[in-house]
Amino acid sequence: MADETAAKYHVGGVGLIATFVGLVVLATLSLLLSFLHWPVGDLVVSLLIALVKALLVVYFFMHLIEQPFSSHMAMLVSLIWVTLLIGLAAADVVTRHTFPVRPEPTEGQPFYVR
Amino acid sequence: MKRHALGEQYGDFAQQDETLQFGMWVFLASEVLLFAGLFALYGSYRAMYGADFADAIKHNTLAYGTVNMYVLLCSSFTVALAVWATRRGRNGLCVAMLATTALLGVAFIVIKLFEYAEHFRERALPGPYYHMAELPTYGANRFFTMYWLMTGLHALHVTGGVCLLVWLTWRAAHRFYTPEHHVGLEMGTLYWHLIDIIWIFLWPIMYLA
Repeated sequence: MADETAAKYHVGGVGLIATFVGLVVLATLSLLLSFLHWPVGDLVVSLLIALVKALLVVYFFMHLIEQPFSSHMAMLVSLIWVTLLIGLAAADVVTRHTFPVRPEPTEGQPFYVR
Repeated sequence: MKRHALGEQYGDFAQQDETLQFGMWVFLASEVLLFAGLFALYGSYRAMYGADFADAIKHNTLAYGTVNMYVLLCSSFTVALAVWATRRGRNGLCVAMLATTALLGVAFIVIKLFEYAEHFRERALPGPYYHMAELPTYGANRFFTMYWLMTGLHALHVTGGVCLLVWLTWRAAHRFYTPEHHVGLEMGTLYWHLIDIIWIFLWPIMYLA
């Protein structure tokens, strides 16, 4: 009975082990690449690797691959909002220059001015 | 009391499980948006104080963050194995995997507390309490404010997740979950995976680049 129930699922033991190995390899790759100290690429590459790791967790460990379309929609809509939120906030700061950076505190000056 | 009751609004257990899982995915989406606000704030400050953020990241102890990354990856694997075991009727393995996951969660918190103690000693604290002599810049102040906010909120989630795992372990030990009825276990493990995913994104921006 348990075997019959298990047979309807997509992600088996081998799939879970392969996902785990993939996650460990990607984490190690991200760590090793960080030692190269690329001027700009560091952050972009490490976030791209993080995105792949997150997708592996969502699709295989969280079994989204087995879920109906409605559950995919919940995650997809959430991702769209996250992209809009972070993208527009960053674009505002980068392009409008409405927040001048304060000069650094001099000696004796209170560090944090309310 | 029946262990697996069918709500009167549902036609069968499959429909009930699907509805509960959809509700859980919507809850997880709301959690993602909660953290997204903080990630947006982090990104904005980083755009303003790029060099100071780079210095502050170098100051963070890479070993703490990295060990915790591997700890959470292992915990995600063990909690996924718990569901796998339940689906195959191997309740003993499920209990063992859930207990292991809870222990890994505790290990994460202990490591984080060691790191927080280090930050506390060097006064790398949030907002007006920041007085680290090594990096006396506004940018470093902003970085450590975001660091405490984001990792602190994440640590609270880990603590809640460990409590949830202990409860799931207790229920599994009492044979609450069967291969046919274990939607509660699946929902609990989804929450734990989300905790892992948030750290997957926190690790690079706080320790790597």
